[in-house]
Amino acid sequence: MPRWVSIVVVGRNPRATLVRVTVLVVTCLIVFNFVLLPIRVEGISMLPTYKDHSINFINRLAYLRHEPQRGDIVSIRLAGLHVMYLKRIIGLPGETVAFENGRVVINGEVLDEPYEKTACDWNRPPVKLGPDEYFVVGDNRTMPKELHQFGETSRDRILGKLIL
Amino acid sequence: MKIVLRIVLAAALVALGVWLWTVLFPSPEKVIRRRLIELAHTASVSISDGDLVRLAAARRLASFFSTNVEVNLELSGLPHQNIMDRDQITQAALIAHTRTVKFPDISVTVAPGKQSATADLTVEAEISGEQGLVVQEMKFTLRKIDGEWLIVRVDTVRTLSRGRQIYPRHFKLCTVAGSFHS
Repeated sequence: MPRWVSIVVVGRNPRATLVRVTVLVVTCLIVFNFVLLPIRVEGISMLPTYKDHSINFINRLAYLRHEPQRGDIVSIRLAGLHVMYLKRIIGLPGETVAFENGRVVINGEVLDEPYEKTACDWNRPPVKLGPDEYFVVGDNRTMPKELHQFGETSRDRILGKLIL
Repeated sequence: MKIVLRIVLAAALVALGVWLWTVLFPSPEKVIRRRLIELAHTASVSISDGDLVRLAAARRLASFFSTNVEVNLELSGLPHQNIMDRDQITQAALIAHTRTVKFPDISVTVAPGKQSATADLTVEAEISGEQGLVVQEMKFTLRKIDGEWLIVRVDTVRTLSRGRQIYPRHFKLCTVAGSFHS
């Protein structure tokens, strides 16, 4: 093998290259399995914020220091990590959440949602969240309520926050 | 050097023995997991398949369940369905238009006596004529009957409790790219 090929493939110092590659692989494995989960978005319930088939990452360490906040877009696990829901938190533990003519009402007050670009007509009676419950919903409220998966979820189902 | 070689050989032999043992005598968890994957594969029947193929698949599908199985289905946009025996499963399988069914996440818990187990899983299905995927979390209860793990109960898990039931094509879901499921 010509020397220049060898340099291109394994570098001038093969041992150092091997160490670098090992460190890189281990770092990637740790980061992309336990810290930043790469995801592909499927479906239309988070339009227009997230388009169908877009790629993103979930920060699994986002809620180490604080609890999920209103407005956060979070992933909610089902039976495992291969398929998850992607929703926005609109209600926090202990709050009462309702939909009145398309507007979200938290504890009797209308929630300001700048990310909602189009009006909708959803209505849903108030529901009181438990001490460990969050109310999550997608951003696409133009679709019929019956076709949209939303509701209360427990804290332990929230895996992390989207970073992009 | 000879000693090192002998140690390495012995370790390799032990590893081979352990591997063979797990292949010949798989743990109940592994058996159940394999069985559920087989179930998903059996449920993947195209509507374009012939009636005989569909009937055979439906019967095979029913064989995964015990005779007095109880299935509680609360599927998107559909009324609550309660299936109480194996024949009803065959009938339901015959009218279902599932092109592909996958269980991308299976978590099996075997009871101490190793005679019963529960499997929490995510069902991901493609329905003929529908765009997108059906995604639903389910809980299967299995029992070892005559040496075979049979499903005795199926329950729908409502991930977003009290949330409205919807048509699956509008589900928002995401797939961990790090572990793509084919």
